[in-house]
Amino acid sequence: MNADTSPLRPMAAGAKIIRYRGVIKRYGGFQALGGVDLDVHAGEVVCLIGPSGSGKSTLLRCTNGLEAIDGGDIEFEGAMLPRDERALRAVRTRMGMVFQSFELFPHLTALENVAEGPRTVLRNDLVEANRRATAMLAKVGLADKASSYPSALSGGQQQRVAIARALAMEPDVMLFDEPTSALDPETIGEVLSVMKKLADEGMTMVVVTHEMTFARRVGDWVAVFDTGRIVEQGPPTQIFDAPTTERTRDFLSHLGWTG
Amino acid sequence: MSFDWSVVWQNRDALIAGTATTILLTVATMAIAVPCGIVVAILRLYGWAPVRALATAYVEFFRNLPLILVVFWAFYVPPILTGLGLSPLATGLAALALNVTAYNAETFRAGINSIRRGQVEAAMVLGMNRVQALRRVVVPQAVRRILPVLASTWVSLFKDTSLVSVIAVTELAYVSMQIRAQSFRVLEMLTAMAAIYWLLGYPQAKLVDWIQRRFAITE
Repeated sequence: MNADTSPLRPMAAGAKIIRYRGVIKRYGGFQALGGVDLDVHAGEVVCLIGPSGSGKSTLLRCTNGLEAIDGGDIEFEGAMLPRDERALRAVRTRMGMVFQSFELFPHLTALENVAEGPRTVLRNDLVEANRRATAMLAKVGLADKASSYPSALSGGQQQRVAIARALAMEPDVMLFDEPTSALDPETIGEVLSVMKKLADEGMTMVVVTHEMTFARRVGDWVAVFDTGRIVEQGPPTQIFDAPTTERTRDFLSHLGWTG
Repeated sequence: MSFDWSVVWQNRDALIAGTATTILLTVATMAIAVPCGIVVAILRLYGWAPVRALATAYVEFFRNLPLILVVFWAFYVPPILTGLGLSPLATGLAALALNVTAYNAETFRAGINSIRRGQVEAAMVLGMNRVQALRRVVVPQAVRRILPVLASTWVSLFKDTSLVSVIAVTELAYVSMQIRAQSFRVLEMLTAMAAIYWLLGYPQAKLVDWIQRRFAITE
């Protein structure tokens, strides 16, 4: 592991799992990330907040190589994120990802969706893959929906299946990209409580979210993004109760956050 | 005015043979145009840029020419250019296959493109490679969108085979017209021809309706 020249968080307990240094991403002339430094330690929930288009999702998508970075570096479990597709695939099996739009496979049942990764990527036999998938569906409280197709599930249920699908790979880290932004208000809670349960079990999580209450209560570390940079990062008590930058105060007051 | 329907019965062997040729043309055309359509679609989607341009040019060329023109062209032009001529049946089959391959290629391409990018990403974040993502996620969904279109193309093709009668392929339309010319029984032969096309075409159209219901995707 590289020596940390500018320790952002000397006090953090767990080993560093993800380390971002000077991460830059451009889309043509637009700079989506303008040098991001961030650490994610084992067992931690790191929440990325900030206005839309500020680079939070882009950073998440760079983490598992869905987008290639244009500068800086990202380390995962002590090794540079590979550029080579084959090595990148091996890394992806250790990072679960949950999308805003769920992206369940509509031609497969809930159980088949969750068993797909173990079957196709981990080469489990059908019995083992189904056993795993059943356990994961039970974990997100959807054991009774195993044979339902995604179209027959509510948004909240679909997102919980998507979480189970990611968990079935037994990842070291879970990446959540605005997991509740596409949901009806009444189903947001069920997804957040599954995520809270995961956090309580010690899962390392990076969560892009607009749910400030979740970031405040469940997050161990919060990074505030604006125009491709982190304008402030710290424990939730600092960010929400005593923000040190004007930009953070502005953002929170626009959301009507009163502490 | 008197009708003589016996002309239909008297010529039943020729009509049956013509019908068989029509069915053969339809089946053979699709047997060529489905695999070729897949190849052209793959070249258009994933090919090296010049190959992609060539495949696109092919599709846009044949999709926008009247089929009857292609039939005439296939019949008259190759012998002029090369001195070699195929049989009318082979020529008609080639013309139909060129046309339907272009349509099918477009159907396959559109079907694959209709699957959201997010679906491929969902497969990739599980650690799948591109081939696995295509095989396990994209193709099974694309097939459900492609099959109904392919089935409609089939029904159109079944009727369009009548166009190759202009180069004397002895399919149902040509045979009927020949009998009409020899017997002067215009109304009887046109009616018989219509009845045969309809009786064969209607169940196919119903089958297409069923396929479209059966494979409808709900998201």
